[in-house]
Amino acid sequence: MRILVVEDNDLVADALTLGLGAAGFAVDRAASAEAAHNAFATEHFDLLVVDVGLPGADGLSLVRRLRASGATQPVLILTARDTLAIKVEALNLGADDFLLKPFEQDELIARCRALIRRANLYAGEQVNLGRLRLDVAGRVLRIDELPVELTGREWLVLECLVLNSGRVVSKERLQQAITGFDQALTPNAVEVYVSRVRAKVGDAAVIRTVRGLGYRLDEPRN
Amino acid sequence: MSRETESAPSIQRRLLWFLLPPLAALMLAGVYANYRAATAFVESAYDERLGDAAIALAGSVLADGPRLRVDTSMVPATAHRADHLVALRYAIVSSGGELLAGSREVPAAAASISANPTFADVLVSGEHLRVASYRISIDNAQAVISVAESAAQRAVPGRFILTSTWLMDFIQLDVTLLIVWLGVHFGLKPLLSLRRQIEAGSPRELKHLDATTVPAEVKPLVDALNVLFDVLAEAARSQRRFVADTAHQLRTPITGLLGNLELLMKEPAATALAPRLQALHTGMEHLARSANQLLALARADPSTSFTEQFDAVDLKALAGRIVEGNLTRALNAGLDLGVEAAPVAVRGNVRLLEDLLGNLVDNAIHYTPSCGHVTVRASLREGRPCLEVEDDGPGIPEEQRGRVRERFYRVPGTSGNGCGLGLAIVSEIAEAHGAQFTLESGAQRKGTRARVLFRSAAV
Repeated sequence: MRILVVEDNDLVADALTLGLGAAGFAVDRAASAEAAHNAFATEHFDLLVVDVGLPGADGLSLVRRLRASGATQPVLILTARDTLAIKVEALNLGADDFLLKPFEQDELIARCRALIRRANLYAGEQVNLGRLRLDVAGRVLRIDELPVELTGREWLVLECLVLNSGRVVSKERLQQAITGFDQALTPNAVEVYVSRVRAKVGDAAVIRTVRGLGYRLDEPRN
Repeated sequence: MSRETESAPSIQRRLLWFLLPPLAALMLAGVYANYRAATAFVESAYDERLGDAAIALAGSVLADGPRLRVDTSMVPATAHRADHLVALRYAIVSSGGELLAGSREVPAAAASISANPTFADVLVSGEHLRVASYRISIDNAQAVISVAESAAQRAVPGRFILTSTWLMDFIQLDVTLLIVWLGVHFGLKPLLSLRRQIEAGSPRELKHLDATTVPAEVKPLVDALNVLFDVLAEAARSQRRFVADTAHQLRTPITGLLGNLELLMKEPAATALAPRLQALHTGMEHLARSANQLLALARADPSTSFTEQFDAVDLKALAGRIVEGNLTRALNAGLDLGVEAAPVAVRGNVRLLEDLLGNLVDNAIHYTPSCGHVTVRASLREGRPCLEVEDDGPGIPEEQRGRVRERFYRVPGTSGNGCGLGLAIVSEIAEAHGAQFTLESGAQRKGTRARVLFRSAAV
């Protein structure tokens, strides 16, 4: 997986390049929107990490330009300014996620992985999350290369949680994800499916219950 | 009203001071002049009557040889009459000193032969008398006719006049003073409403005063105040911009430092330095938190446009967002962070309310020890929307609960890296939303329950 980091501050760019590199990504760096655009035109990247405050054309204009040229790769926006206007504009322009400075390396890596996973999931490709490997097209879950049998609804629950790993998924959303299957389900039934998935995944991923909100799937901490 | 405003010079009091005493003195002088004019007129009327009586008496004096005598049958009835106002006494004395008629007690005024009677005030056995004397000469014999009237009796109508003028003038005076007072009071009304306008505005808002409704006399003052407000507001704005810019500028280097530090901590060679690197990391996080709080404080200022951009804000969704945003930190701290929310909406600024709830949750996570619980609630309390953050941490001592809302105040002896801005931000944002912010003990008198009670739900 190859990531293009567009950041003009050397200290931040170094940390991003080294951190993402240590997490197993191939990382290229551009210090301006112009350089990023040139790099993007000649090379393939799976993900862009773009700082808003760039010298010259800013990060948002870069996203606009890339989307206008038909690029579909996920874009993670970094910004020091947490105004709602920037957030809304970034998401409207086609950015996929938004991270406010300062952030922890682990948070950035988790977001990058989630974005790439989501892109792969939509593309029907193989998705990796720690020791889990989801073969989206064949609907097969493997843990440490060993296949685990899931029912249709269990698969949908796991897929929804993996798609949103690191984020809280509400009970209602899980309910919607699995009711398309046949008739309506009670929220209690959702709990049953989540606990079944939790049992099948074991310690390969953590599925937390967040009181009053829903569930969150994380990679286990090492 | 404070003592200060009472001792301060008051235009109303000055106007009344300058108007009322001279007016009162003028009215008193008027009473006196009226009295004098009226009594002088009455006096001359009485004198004329007294003189007429003397002249009328002269008709009863007849020549009797070389002597004179008085034909009593010809004494006019008026001389005998004693009505309730005037009793007249008379004496007709010949030039030889012989009393021809009347009473000897009546003294004569020095009267010469002339067309008119002469008048005098005399004191006879303790009684003040007004005497009119008229000298007649018949066949070389002369007589003096004196008619007297008691001054005390005369004073009766004088007193009556005085009383009635006093009464009339007093009523007039009172009405005048009342009119002056009312005039001053209502004339100064625009000043009072200006004062109310100034008092109504928050001292930090620095809003323009409405110069269109103020009187022309104070308009220059109001205009000058508005200019001053502009200058102050601009100074406050640039200070806030500076704080916000600085906080923003800090974020990028902090990101770089934090990222590099985290990478460094993962190096195998760093194991020996782990405690020191961890301390550095904690300090860096503290720095990041402070920068965020400074920004939130700059945003919460009443003069920012945030306090004017109010929309319906769903508290349940807000609670969900804030809890999700703080979940990783809570999990890392070994805390159970959760939500209990009902669908409630208020009118407010979503960015500020995020700061408000974010700071309450941040505080709870910060001060609650591992294995504790933090719960965010959104509910309706007696019809009023309510946000609560409850933890089962050490709690805030009751006597400290007021002070913790002050900027940069920290409860003595607390650990952690708070800079003491969190609750000041919460206070300010609650105030901007007209909401009540209270701190109390949590369930079973343990921990802290921070509550923000809004005025009314948004429709």
